[in-house]
Amino acid sequence: MNNIVLPDETQTDSSSDDETSLVVVILDSNPGQKMLRDSPHVLTHCVDSIIAFANSHLMQKAQNKLAIMACHSKTSQFIYPGQGKHTDVRQVDGQYEVFTAVEKITKKNLAKVLTADSSTVTKESLLAGAIAMALCYISRLQRTKPPGATLNCRILVVTGSSCSASQYMNYMNVFFTAQKQNVVIDVCALDQHLSLLQQGCDITNGLYLKVPQLQGLLQYLLWVFLPEPPIREKLVLPPPLKVDYRAACFCHRQLIEIGYVCSVCLSIFCRFSPICTTCHTVFKMPALPAVKPKKKKKI
Amino acid sequence: MADNDGSTSSQKSSRFKQTNLECKNLYDYLKSRSSQVLEKLYNHPTICLAIYRELPDLAKQYVIRLVFVEQPVPQAVVASWGSQVFSKEHNFASTVLAELTLWQEAAIPGGLLGWILSPTFKRNLKVALLGGGKAWSMSSALEADSKARDVAFLDTYSQERWECVLHYMVGSQQQEGISADAVRILLHAGLMKRDEEDGSLVITRQGFQFLLLDRQAQVWHFLLQYLDTVEERGLDLVECLTFLFQLSFSTLGKDYSTEGMSPGLLIFLQHLREFGLVYQRKRKAGRFYPTRLALNITNSHNKSTPDIEEDHPKGYIVVETNYRIYAYTDSNLQVALVALFTELMYRFPNLVVGLITRESVRQALRGGITADQIIGFLKQHAHPQMLNAEAKQPLPPTVVDQIKLWELERNRLTYSEGVLYSQFLSQADFNVLKEYTESNGVLIWCNKEKRTLVINKSAHDDVKKFWKRYSKGN
Repeated sequence: MNNIVLPDETQTDSSSDDETSLVVVILDSNPGQKMLRDSPHVLTHCVDSIIAFANSHLMQKAQNKLAIMACHSKTSQFIYPGQGKHTDVRQVDGQYEVFTAVEKITKKNLAKVLTADSSTVTKESLLAGAIAMALCYISRLQRTKPPGATLNCRILVVTGSSCSASQYMNYMNVFFTAQKQNVVIDVCALDQHLSLLQQGCDITNGLYLKVPQLQGLLQYLLWVFLPEPPIREKLVLPPPLKVDYRAACFCHRQLIEIGYVCSVCLSIFCRFSPICTTCHTVFKMPALPAVKPKKKKKI
Repeated sequence: MADNDGSTSSQKSSRFKQTNLECKNLYDYLKSRSSQVLEKLYNHPTICLAIYRELPDLAKQYVIRLVFVEQPVPQAVVASWGSQVFSKEHNFASTVLAELTLWQEAAIPGGLLGWILSPTFKRNLKVALLGGGKAWSMSSALEADSKARDVAFLDTYSQERWECVLHYMVGSQQQEGISADAVRILLHAGLMKRDEEDGSLVITRQGFQFLLLDRQAQVWHFLLQYLDTVEERGLDLVECLTFLFQLSFSTLGKDYSTEGMSPGLLIFLQHLREFGLVYQRKRKAGRFYPTRLALNITNSHNKSTPDIEEDHPKGYIVVETNYRIYAYTDSNLQVALVALFTELMYRFPNLVVGLITRESVRQALRGGITADQIIGFLKQHAHPQMLNAEAKQPLPPTVVDQIKLWELERNRLTYSEGVLYSQFLSQADFNVLKEYTESNGVLIWCNKEKRTLVINKSAHDDVKKFWKRYSKGN
């Protein structure tokens, strides 16, 4: 908690001081990412940066909470806090005990995840699923928190994989759920521009940043993503880019600007189909009404 | 011409001013230390960590942005980090950082002024965050304790110890179990004083206010007072502070080793043990457990919301809109605290019912307790059922307002020192002086018929000069 408040604003500031802030970091550990296929050691650098970032978050306030998830092509797992109690961690080099615990547990569990999945087939990461898991975790904490406490939650996605339109529906579902639950989604893109996740940031009032240089990852994380949403408005942060709000069609999972929308269930298609594949509504052929006016003109 | 008769009617305002309990936080405490002491303190990662957590939000961001930067950063750049609307907060953050010498001005080639973090602070904050320094003094490896204590045990232990001190203060039943040292600190802190008649110890008004603070604030206040006396005892202040913060950053329910601790520190540990901040089975056990009291000790002020941890102590007080208080407790101390400002009606084995009345509150106010302290106490110990209610406030607003009104009632008189001017020879003279003082805003009271006026004492010289000039002019 921060005890030094502006001398004349003691009343107004005290309310925001006692809030607990939770960050769920989702780390894309899929070895199929282009960035990792080119140079696998980048992952170590990313993990180190993320751990330092996570510890900086814990350093802000004594009551701050943290969770770290690894997102893979087949599963998503919580790697911090892991299962079971880890009381054997003793600080050895002057680092705060809690930070040492975060570092050790994260590295241990991440290694487990990486060794468990040895398939080399390139597949996309299940980011939408990971965000959904994070939302579940957050909602559980919200439910079990003691009365009177406030918990501010946000999710930070750090990924180098490309955006896949195939998860479009899942993405939209988690984005709107997050918006409803007041969870902010921040995205830090390491390699490619991610238009879908950028939409998510826009929807939930989060920040989107494509890191220009991977070497400076930690500094970008600390500058942009460390401040909590209430403090963000007091700082000058990178202005939001123009968001690409293209939707993906349900038939071929491609991003389109103009398409056909089912009038019953609002599903999007890039091509006309007589039966909506989602709700099975039958549409009349579009050619028919065009024929009738012609006849009337002749008469 | 009229002479101004400077018969003073100054009142001793100090007689009416109430000395209230002054609660310093870590920032105030450090600000009052010399820069040499600060520099010494910054040599310890734990202290850097504790200080960092105390900083204002914006200052925290600035420090973290600078911690990995080696060169000085131009002040203009730092100023551009905060948005224009919040420039006041930005300036405040900068002042705090400068006051604690956390950052210093440094010249940048090109003639600009820049900020650079204090090298000692930067290095040690990095150590706390990332490691790479020396191990803490208490973290030597230990084999598993054969009689390990769990968190619940530590909680009851620390609570017992601490309540022992509080019990002693309110003078209820038990009188033993507190050492001469603790008594000396209570006396030093002005929480208790020797009675003038029979020399027995009685609680002071600050003591009552102390009782109504929440547990963490009590511990912190008490420790600050203790630290004041540390040097007289021949202990090293920096060493003790470092250890205290190491303790505050340790894990509950874990044992730590006393190996390699200096004799001074071992004495300090024994004192902490007495207040229940650490648990030791035996003096020479070689290991100790920190208790909840010691954790995050600086994290104390204005803390009204409970922690997310589930095993936190629960509140026990229900306040109804009809001014009734139900306190579900069997502790004499807690009953005594509630009784400070309520009229007790019934007492059952686990429940006390009281009524907040004008008389009972006024009595507390007379004792030096403020309305905010009463309300803060009720809020902090509010029963979970009260927090569950739809309303945002745990207490009924009518009760809160009424307690505040009862306090305001007592403050109908304001005292100010003044000088009486009287015996003006003409109404004109009187009017001139009245207008002059009125326009300067120093007039306190005036009576036209009797031609007297009372002005602020500080403006007396000025008014006298004016009067001389005026009389000469005529």
